[in-house]
Amino acid sequence: MEPFQMIGKDVPRNDARAKATGTAAYADDLKLPGMLHGRILRSPLAHARILHIDTSRAEALTGVRCVITGQDIPQVKYGNWRLFPDTQDEYALAVDKVRFIGDEVAAVAAVDKDTAQEALELIDVEYEELPGLFDVESAMAGDAVPIHDHCRNNTSVNRKIAYGDVEKGFAESDYVREDTFRVHAVSHAYLEPCSALAQLDLDGRITLWTSTQVPYIVQCLLASTLEMRENDVRVIKPYVGGGFGGKMELRTWEFCAAFMAKRTGRPVKFTLNREEEFLAGRRRHPMTIHSKVGFKKDGALVAKDLKITLDGGAYNAMGPTATFLCGNFGAMLYRYPNYAFYGRHVYTNKPPASAMRGFGAPQSLYASEIQMNMAAEALGIDPVDIRLKNAQKSGDKIPDVATISSCGFTESIQEVARMSDWKKKRASLGPGRGIGIGCYSFISGGVFNWFNTQYPFSAAEVRAFSDGTVHLLTMASDIGQGSDTALKQILAEELGLRMEDIRITSADTAMTPQADLGSWGSRVTLMAGNAVVDAARKIKERLFGALSARYNLNVIYEMECREGRVQPKGRPDRGMSFGEAVAMVQKASRGEPLVARGSYTPRDKGLVTPAFGFGAQVAEVEVDRQTGLVEVKKMWTAHDCGTVINPKGVEGQLAGSIQMGLGYALSEQFVMEEGRTLNTNFLDYKMPTALDMPPGEVVHVETYEPEGPMGAKECGEGLASPTAPAISDAVYHATGYRCKDLPITPEKILEGMNAGGKKKS
Amino acid sequence: MPLPKFEYLSPKSLEEALQLLADRGEGTHLLAGGTDLLVKMAHGHLKPRAVIALKQIDALGGIRFDPGKGLFIGATALLDEVASHPDVKAHFPSVAYAAQQTANVQIRNMGTLAGNLCNAAPSADNAPVLTAMGAEAVIAGPKGERRVALDRFFKGPGQTVIEPGEILTAVHVPVIPSGFGTSYQHVSPRGKVDIAAVCVGAMVGMDGATCKEARIVLGAVAPVPMRAEKTEALVRGKALTPEILEKAGRQASEEARPISDMRAGAEYRKRMTAVLTGRALKQAAEAAAN
Amino acid sequence: MKQLLTLRVNGITHELSIDPWRTLNEVLRDELNLTGTKLGCGSGDCGACTVLVDGRSVSSCLTLAASVDGKEIATVEGLAPSGEQLHPVQESFVENGAIQCGFCTAGMEMSAVYLLGRNNAPDEEQIRAGLSGNLCRCTGYNQIVEAVAAAAEKMKPS
Repeated sequence: MEPFQMIGKDVPRNDARAKATGTAAYADDLKLPGMLHGRILRSPLAHARILHIDTSRAEALTGVRCVITGQDIPQVKYGNWRLFPDTQDEYALAVDKVRFIGDEVAAVAAVDKDTAQEALELIDVEYEELPGLFDVESAMAGDAVPIHDHCRNNTSVNRKIAYGDVEKGFAESDYVREDTFRVHAVSHAYLEPCSALAQLDLDGRITLWTSTQVPYIVQCLLASTLEMRENDVRVIKPYVGGGFGGKMELRTWEFCAAFMAKRTGRPVKFTLNREEEFLAGRRRHPMTIHSKVGFKKDGALVAKDLKITLDGGAYNAMGPTATFLCGNFGAMLYRYPNYAFYGRHVYTNKPPASAMRGFGAPQSLYASEIQMNMAAEALGIDPVDIRLKNAQKSGDKIPDVATISSCGFTESIQEVARMSDWKKKRASLGPGRGIGIGCYSFISGGVFNWFNTQYPFSAAEVRAFSDGTVHLLTMASDIGQGSDTALKQILAEELGLRMEDIRITSADTAMTPQADLGSWGSRVTLMAGNAVVDAARKIKERLFGALSARYNLNVIYEMECREGRVQPKGRPDRGMSFGEAVAMVQKASRGEPLVARGSYTPRDKGLVTPAFGFGAQVAEVEVDRQTGLVEVKKMWTAHDCGTVINPKGVEGQLAGSIQMGLGYALSEQFVMEEGRTLNTNFLDYKMPTALDMPPGEVVHVETYEPEGPMGAKECGEGLASPTAPAISDAVYHATGYRCKDLPITPEKILEGMNAGGKKKS
Repeated sequence: MPLPKFEYLSPKSLEEALQLLADRGEGTHLLAGGTDLLVKMAHGHLKPRAVIALKQIDALGGIRFDPGKGLFIGATALLDEVASHPDVKAHFPSVAYAAQQTANVQIRNMGTLAGNLCNAAPSADNAPVLTAMGAEAVIAGPKGERRVALDRFFKGPGQTVIEPGEILTAVHVPVIPSGFGTSYQHVSPRGKVDIAAVCVGAMVGMDGATCKEARIVLGAVAPVPMRAEKTEALVRGKALTPEILEKAGRQASEEARPISDMRAGAEYRKRMTAVLTGRALKQAAEAAAN
Repeated sequence: MKQLLTLRVNGITHELSIDPWRTLNEVLRDELNLTGTKLGCGSGDCGACTVLVDGRSVSSCLTLAASVDGKEIATVEGLAPSGEQLHPVQESFVENGAIQCGFCTAGMEMSAVYLLGRNNAPDEEQIRAGLSGNLCRCTGYNQIVEAVAAAAEKMKPS
């Protein structure tokens, strides 16, 4: 393969300058003439019937333009996107009941923020309080009150996977162990609170600027809930201040902004505050994970029986998909000849959990990875060796999932062990010091198409101009991860252009080609990247045709776009500039612009994903054995994301994952009391700061993914998984405390050490 | 959330401020750095009728050190000014350190040490060591000035001896006598930048290896920063051996009356009281020797 | 009653009539349309709203506009006033991958400018401490720390 020109280069982000200078506009930075300010009234109760809402005092307040409740809006449910009618359980505003503290009850739009706030306090709601269910055990009990009338035992999803014969597998195993793990809820904690601005267009259509990861899905769901046609709603994604899975559904404020803009004829903006984000915001699913695994004496895995109960909170949100994926993640990473999974998604009267970076993997893999270490210890095998023994490899088939194409997992484990000096440190670190390992594999986009669309999964349009520039249009959503830049690099590579030759317009559903399912599941680089390559190749074919005609070239010539020129390979003298070639194509088609559409939809790639990323991570910690405080000294990572498109971008994703994993392992949690989130600010929701971040060392184990654009695949989401188990294992190594119940708090460490946690040998 | 509506007053002198405080009466709050007041207002916990800003009053600003009289920290002196002041660093290192450990950079550039005390959070970083050092609050009121030692200053969470109509004008820290040393120790789950789950301030006077005087103040383990008097008695007259330090820690943890809240459990707080008391005594004794 | 204020923002004098309960953040964003300064939490914990007042970094969300009457305010928009040549801190942020979603960027840059103003050759620990009042959820901070070190290098008097 020829070396790349643009791929693998540290190209600065497309939007870096705009962001560095403060000129990049996010949703809350937008203002329109006559704009109203919206606020949401939230339920103070965890579970209650709404008997009566009186909005008259609020409506009478000077400056209030519109007050709405669940009774005023079309009664169209959404939830877990659409198509699965029985998982749709949510109205934009509560209709009959409130189901968690913070549930949306009414909305106000007023001439300024102060008035909107004042009006909220003038809405009188009469509730009949119902018993609250705050954990999955009581929610599933036979006599539990149903949180949603249609749902027995408050269990909204039952999902099973089975292949091989697990019972036979356990019978044939030399060593079987069963463990129960509990993992907790954490916040996406994106820095930009959600915000949406809606405008009624002159022709009665709606334009919505919103902080979202999924403009197309918001368009579809908003249209259906407003009882409008899809094309009557235009969704534009401005700059978005992070998402991590927390901005991938239609949300109340998006609906209310649009609905109230229609009602009032004036633009309406809603911006949440941080307290609302923490009180009522989506979060990562808490789960109870019961796992039984069987091994041969030599460490070879034989069977796994995995039962996971997800605490979904009051609504499904993206929980059904997370339930589905947990089952798949349970059988990824290692070879499980016999496997069974039973996943349940259970309603409780808490803020809904939903997708969050890893989409079920961080929870599922925490259990698998810790259990792997416990088994290794019992079998007398080094944790690194037991992983190498069972690691999935290229060509492995995961039943009902896929055949793994590129796979650098074994190399990742070997590299990370080498970099961290694993064997020596595992044997010789002093008291209070420890080293631990965690691994992951992750999907490169989802095939499970629970969002029915008539469009391709990703699409791109390339317009070429005779001045040597091109315009890339794509609905792919850059929410900070840098996809606009990566897609431009892919296009620049394919067309032999420079970054500055490419203009990009992304994520405007009225302007960019239908469609794109959004930024989630690590899908954008592979899927939108492939769509870009497809469009670029169509452009090239046209340019090559023109060149061929111009020089009367023999058909056997291979041609290329390179360094701004279009030419036969090895015959640059018979070439011309990119712009000249575009002009020729246009002349030949009598002024018709040179435009090409590309698309990507995974076909014949199973029901889960077209490709997998892999990696391994080692953490070294120091534990103060008197206070139980953990300091992570260093993180080593070796991972396989296929071809690295932008090294700094990849490394940034990786460090960001470590920060999130560090918080997940050690400091972040929601403190809940009777369904109320107590820590609703960053003072008490303890996200790691720059001082808490350890230094890191990284090796990219490059593979070439045949299904990906230029060999690339997922990066940065899978890495949300290994950090917590690596730190947890290192804490065990340092103190003898084995955490089966995240987070690892100083209190638990001290208790664990007191309880005679095994001293390390 | 938008702030509630209030009247804003910015007097230029202490007399004017006291007069405004008397005139406006109930519902009037003083604003120094605002880092606690504005948070309370933004979260809807406080709706003042009037806010009197103290920043324009020159007499309330600044940090003064007098080798004979000690240190005066004005009511509007910023935490960062305390933390970085050369005299504070040289003569009152634990005072500088506690200020440095309070909140984050921006808050230290806005918030004041006096405000940290007036807010009277049980976990206030600056309270334990100042209390241990015998610092006093200088309070002006309609009837003149009075001084209250910090170990009598706090009444409960958010409550102090400051009466309506009074203003804390400065904090006075006496000179550390020769042969004495101080220490501030704290622990919090996020490690580096966090509100303390437990904090301990200590001042000890040493005669060789023997501790002749000790004042130990525990934070975040009672409604107010509290003196651990039995622990002080336990170490007085003893050599601070590892055994004594451990005993002292156990005694302090018995004296502590912590609650469980979202920041830490009571049991953990008791345990940390023991650990930090031992560490504080040890460090203070070392400082005394230097 | 509205307060009459004079704010000097990025060297430009603004005469304003403002409700006393308005924060500096609201005045910058809503009145002066300087939306580069963000609002991330409203309680001084995240640093996204950091600006300089008379040279000190503060949280604009916890600063009453009335309390900074007559003072010099510096925001991200003032770092590269010409609109062409970026400030060395901005330039380093762009070059070092210190920017992802960008929502923390303005606050981070202002904290970095404040830090480098006090200490023109900070070591890594000092940089981390200087940025510890600014939260970031995307980058894991390391590339930001590298960017500040690179900026210090660029700003070194030759």
